[in-house]
Amino acid sequence: MKKYISYILSLLLLSGCLDIKLEDQYSDPDAISTTSTARELLASAYNSLPRHQLEFSILSDDFVTTNLTGKYAERLNLYNWKEKDMEDLSDYVWNEYYMTVAIVNALLPRLDNVTPKDEEDKLELDKIRCEAKTLKAMCYFDLLRLYAPAYSEANLLKDGIILKNRLELDFLPRSSVRDCVTEIDRLLTEAASVENQDTEVFYLSTTAVMALRAEFELYRNAYDKAVLAGLPLLADAQARWTKSDYENLWADNISADRLFAQYIFDSFYTDLCYDKATGDYFVLNPDITYDDADLRKDWAAYTVNMNGGQIQTLGKYNRMYYDNVTVRYINTLRYSGVCFTVAEAYARDLQYDKARQTVNTYLEAYGAQPLDDKLEGEDLVEAILLEKQKEFAGEGVRLFDLKRHGKALVKKGNFGMGTSVTIYPDDYRWLLPIPQSEYKYNDNITQNNPGWPFIKTE
Amino acid sequence: MRRIPAIIFSILILIAAPHVLKSQTKGRYVLSGQVTDSYDEPLAGASVYIRGHIKDGTSTDSNGYFSLELPDTKKIIIEASFLGMKPYTVEFTGQKEILIVMEDDANMMESAIVMGKQNINDLDIRAKAGVINSVDMDRLQDRPVMDLSLSLQGSAPGLIVTNRGDLGTKPEIRIRGNSSFRKGDVANEPLYVLDGQVISSDAFMTLNPLDIADIKILKDAVACALYGTKAANGVLEITSVRGTSGDTMVTYDFNGGVTFRGRRGVQMMETDEKLELERRLKNIEAPGYRYSEDYYRRYFARDPNLDQMIAEGKAILDGLRQTNTDWFKELLRNDFYQRHNLSVRGGNNKTSYYASANYSYQGGQVPGNDVNRFTGRMSLDQAVGTKGFVSLSVSGGYSKANSPNGSTYSPTSLIYELNPYESKTSGELFSYPNRTYNDLVYQFDRTSTEKRFGTTASINLEPLEGLTIGAVAGLDFVLSESLEFTPSTAYEEQRSGAAKNELGKISKSKNTNSNVTTNVRVTWNRTFGKHDVTLGANTDYYWDNMDNMSVTGYGVGQLKSMAAINQSIEGNRKVSTSNFREKTAQLGIGLLGGYCYDGIYDIFGTYKADASSILPKDKRWNAAWAVGVGWNVKDYAFMKDWDPISALRIKASYGRTASLAGVSPSLTVGTFSYLEDSYGDIRLLELMALYNDRLKPEQTVSTEVGISMGLFNRLTIDVGWYDRRTEDALLDVPIPASNGFTTLKRNIGILSNSGLETTLSARIIDRSDFRVNLRLSLAYNRNKVIDLYDGDRLYTSEDTIIPDYEVGQAYDMIYGPISLGLDPMSGLPVFKGADGREIQATEKLTREDMVPLGHSVPPYNGTINLSFTYKQLEFDADFYYVFGGIKTYAYAYVRDYDDANRNAVRGQVQNMWFQKGDENKIYHTPFYSSSAIENLTMWPNSRSIGSSDYLRLSMLSLRYRFPHSFIKKLGGIVKYGNVAIQASNLFTLTRYKESDPESGSFVGAQQPILTFNLSLSF
Repeated sequence: MKKYISYILSLLLLSGCLDIKLEDQYSDPDAISTTSTARELLASAYNSLPRHQLEFSILSDDFVTTNLTGKYAERLNLYNWKEKDMEDLSDYVWNEYYMTVAIVNALLPRLDNVTPKDEEDKLELDKIRCEAKTLKAMCYFDLLRLYAPAYSEANLLKDGIILKNRLELDFLPRSSVRDCVTEIDRLLTEAASVENQDTEVFYLSTTAVMALRAEFELYRNAYDKAVLAGLPLLADAQARWTKSDYENLWADNISADRLFAQYIFDSFYTDLCYDKATGDYFVLNPDITYDDADLRKDWAAYTVNMNGGQIQTLGKYNRMYYDNVTVRYINTLRYSGVCFTVAEAYARDLQYDKARQTVNTYLEAYGAQPLDDKLEGEDLVEAILLEKQKEFAGEGVRLFDLKRHGKALVKKGNFGMGTSVTIYPDDYRWLLPIPQSEYKYNDNITQNNPGWPFIKTE
Repeated sequence: MRRIPAIIFSILILIAAPHVLKSQTKGRYVLSGQVTDSYDEPLAGASVYIRGHIKDGTSTDSNGYFSLELPDTKKIIIEASFLGMKPYTVEFTGQKEILIVMEDDANMMESAIVMGKQNINDLDIRAKAGVINSVDMDRLQDRPVMDLSLSLQGSAPGLIVTNRGDLGTKPEIRIRGNSSFRKGDVANEPLYVLDGQVISSDAFMTLNPLDIADIKILKDAVACALYGTKAANGVLEITSVRGTSGDTMVTYDFNGGVTFRGRRGVQMMETDEKLELERRLKNIEAPGYRYSEDYYRRYFARDPNLDQMIAEGKAILDGLRQTNTDWFKELLRNDFYQRHNLSVRGGNNKTSYYASANYSYQGGQVPGNDVNRFTGRMSLDQAVGTKGFVSLSVSGGYSKANSPNGSTYSPTSLIYELNPYESKTSGELFSYPNRTYNDLVYQFDRTSTEKRFGTTASINLEPLEGLTIGAVAGLDFVLSESLEFTPSTAYEEQRSGAAKNELGKISKSKNTNSNVTTNVRVTWNRTFGKHDVTLGANTDYYWDNMDNMSVTGYGVGQLKSMAAINQSIEGNRKVSTSNFREKTAQLGIGLLGGYCYDGIYDIFGTYKADASSILPKDKRWNAAWAVGVGWNVKDYAFMKDWDPISALRIKASYGRTASLAGVSPSLTVGTFSYLEDSYGDIRLLELMALYNDRLKPEQTVSTEVGISMGLFNRLTIDVGWYDRRTEDALLDVPIPASNGFTTLKRNIGILSNSGLETTLSARIIDRSDFRVNLRLSLAYNRNKVIDLYDGDRLYTSEDTIIPDYEVGQAYDMIYGPISLGLDPMSGLPVFKGADGREIQATEKLTREDMVPLGHSVPPYNGTINLSFTYKQLEFDADFYYVFGGIKTYAYAYVRDYDDANRNAVRGQVQNMWFQKGDENKIYHTPFYSSSAIENLTMWPNSRSIGSSDYLRLSMLSLRYRFPHSFIKKLGGIVKYGNVAIQASNLFTLTRYKESDPESGSFVGAQQPILTFNLSLSF
């Protein structure tokens, strides 16, 4: 009998405990307990940053259509600002930006549970917190520029974007443009609270925060603040604008002009080209030209044989695609961008000399024609923006400038011949539509941006 | 179900006509008699003896007669034995003559004195109030089908098995429908228990049907409650074959036969009709137009060589007309089926054993698709003293499935795409421009293997009278591997644009799933006069470990080996590895109590509390409880002697079970895992899902009422009604995208499955040498959304205007507009709107215009089982039928302008609208504007659906058992033998016009198989 009981007892002992530690997963409450896991989670937030440079460029006037565009109907429709295709794009854009926001929201409260080992670890923890906030600010800033009307006193109380402060399920209304701007301002201020300089270009350093700040201040028409934030970054800028730095920028090597580049290590920007032998769906707008002396010419533009002639198309990532180069750096923030931000701020602040000087320093460094000394006022702003377009063609920057600037957008016909469609400044489509994936399930969204369909089934 | 023959035989003994027996008297007490088999054939050489005194016994003469001297005592037991027959026992009460009718022992099961019952949850007391169906294993084993799950189709009412594709694909198994809003196996699959050990459904698929003695289907709360929260979707309890106490018996069983191509889904066009269709569709990609007179007259009207061109075109078309390929025959094949099974059983009063080995092969319809399986099993039962026994079993299996089907082109779909004027050798194809036939096949291959190992040990003790203690512990382990290979020569690879040294893709995955079960149970049973009381308690522990690993690499060229991966590749063809591991455990404590009064009233209740590692600590414990009552009306004194009603029993039960099926830790707490990629040199740690800290387990509430009645000992009727409600049902519901995630698993509502199950068994003719039995079953299941917590409708996609779930409606309902037919002017369908007006196909339909068209899951299914026995000849046939459901026609084989270069359904030229005035056509115009696309493609309409009813002859078996006179001639080596012709899925009758009414796809209808079977026991 005793024997049996001992058998049974030994069987009972097999009934182990239920606190099973996951072996290849980290589970709360102590999922993120070290700075290295926190950094790894932050890395997935960086990695999730949306990459719609191509689509935003197609929407702007960086490109014109070709004889091949018709083979890619969705992209042609996007070029012509067709509602349906913009709705589709908006769906991706909205979801992806809020995914990055969600990861940051998952990370931030968990950072409070991390106990740093030493001073160095504590500093790393602070840097992670600052970078996370910068990322969130970046997302909000992009979303605001895409979904809200251009910044002006009159638009302050209009609908901005949804400000999401926690990971948990929420059904939030859109905040006003003013509240959104305040939130971005707060995030950028907090992000700049810790000095974070000696970091790799794949992470958002304090310098990147300042560059973002300059852009943000220009957006909200605070020109002096834009200059204040941007100018210090240009102190040694000339040394960054060398021939090799520019080449390296677009040959996927280390370049001093980069402030922040999203890491990818994959093929990128593959959708511009239809077929390496036949040509591209879209080519560079023929209005964008580079002087022969301009050393950017070889890298920003690329000549291909198509439609029976030599056509100038986009270089940059597109050239890397032609050359089978795997992209590692997506150039997101550059010193040259800060230069244009500061110059435009000066120009809008009526300091024309300083504006021209700022831009010309940059242009001269690359062997391009400096701006005419007589340019002033709106013409100067226009000229600065044109030079900016030449610098950033195909990088998805132009759309934001056009919207901010409030000028009509002319979409040309094939290879720049004639006009396909003109988008006027009062067009409703300057504001992307709130996607169905948001408003269908969120009762606090009671209307779409003006002009866009709002179909709620219930 | 195995008991049915036993019952029949015992009845036979009672009613067999008494024979005049000669007696050869000698001594004071002499018993004389005759020994015959159940067909009245005398058995010569049978031993007749007093129990325990076999040496003093006698044996029968050539006519089966014997006489036996008996000592001067009564109350002794006479036994008779004969090779291949069950031992026969009878009490000697002073009679002078006796007729001993011995019963065939087909596979020795019935005679087995089963000592070991490894599954200690298999308590008889459950069956008095709960609903437990047994599968007729004889019929199941008669069915030549490799896959055990598929052979279960139709074996019990309410157990619904649906084939889903190619040979080797796991079918869908449900007990009484889906218990969750979530679709898919994880949330709705029943629990599989083999000899008390939980096994995975993959492991179940690899079992050898001949090793299985019994499968019980547990359906209601009372039957399932002992398994606690794991059993919310029902249980399949499998009992393996064990040893016998008697002579060692070696049995060899062979099946060999042919597998057929099966049913032709859709008749495709022959060359003439196809070329005519092409001419009408006017697509220059298709030769029927490109070389037609129409084409030349349109594009070269003024060309001086027009007549010559037309003549040349005609010559080309005439050339094409020489070929008329039937791709159905060309691409599908007939193949083989074989099964070898060798088993050994034996033992004595103390020890018994069973061992078996099996090899099976089934070839699929598509060349390159086949399944191979080896299994082995050993079990041992050993008595421990006089009060208990231990049992051990070990089993293993290896199965391999090959498939040539890639993600791009499956050979089965090519049947409906390749043109009749094309052939395997005709060079570049019109249907696939730039490709030849060889660019379509041999593009991919996949081998998947399953290796299973399981072992179970158990102890059963009865230390005191009425007190039993059982314990079982076991491990079941399945390793599933798959190897997928795309050679560098494959068309897609060649055109991928990748460098030469990066061509050829291979990926290998290894998934291991281990289950550990321990269960200890104490049961006490005592009878006080008319009162019978049972009390019990148990504690169990289930541990489950999943470890999935995979590697994908490129640059292997034509070598199907991981070693050939080019590891220097960077970028998107870089080697990638992934791993997913999940361990879960569940600890449970259960109590049970049963009471029976006078054999008439039964009440039974169980309570089980289970704690699961899946949920956070504060929500860990969940309960499953059930109560049931049974009322055995027949046991009343006044009923006992009333013959017309031979049995009458009424049962009712109610229970509530929490269910954690398909819930993983990452759904309730923040869980992070690593991705394959990195950001710079930092690994990516990803948040796996948006977790829901308010997530609760689903609650399944079951109610059941059943009645079972026997009439004149010939007819048995079972009727049962059930309702299974799932409260707090879980579903991934869409949430505002600003949350970062677009879905979240939430408790969203209540659904119910209710239905009726009936079985009718009749012994129509019941004579000693001729018997006819019939069994009919019918099951009806209706599902319904009872409540949704957030409103009345739920849409899982933002694009649809038809809700996926709506309160008061079935959730498998297909919605669509009513079509009034094609408008002879536009060639497009006209719909009937909610307000009765006609809506053109180019207009937008609204939710109100959509009406329920029918159920996608057929609510009715059942079987007809027929058996004839005449002397040594046995004939069995099983029909399986399904009705009440619909399937939508994909019309993938109806061509319009864009895909005119692919083959089309026969009759399309006749049935398609081509020009204004065409009336009574089935297929809409091939030239429609994009504004009609939504209404033509987004939803079905009343004319693009078909009833998926079907009737299938799922099993046919004609068996001849060798008579004993013949066996004797074999010199005593063979003890028992029979031969049979067996077939499965010989035909399917259906009105469904498209593919297979069961799987709804062109790929993978169940194959007809015809085999010859030989079974010999030594």
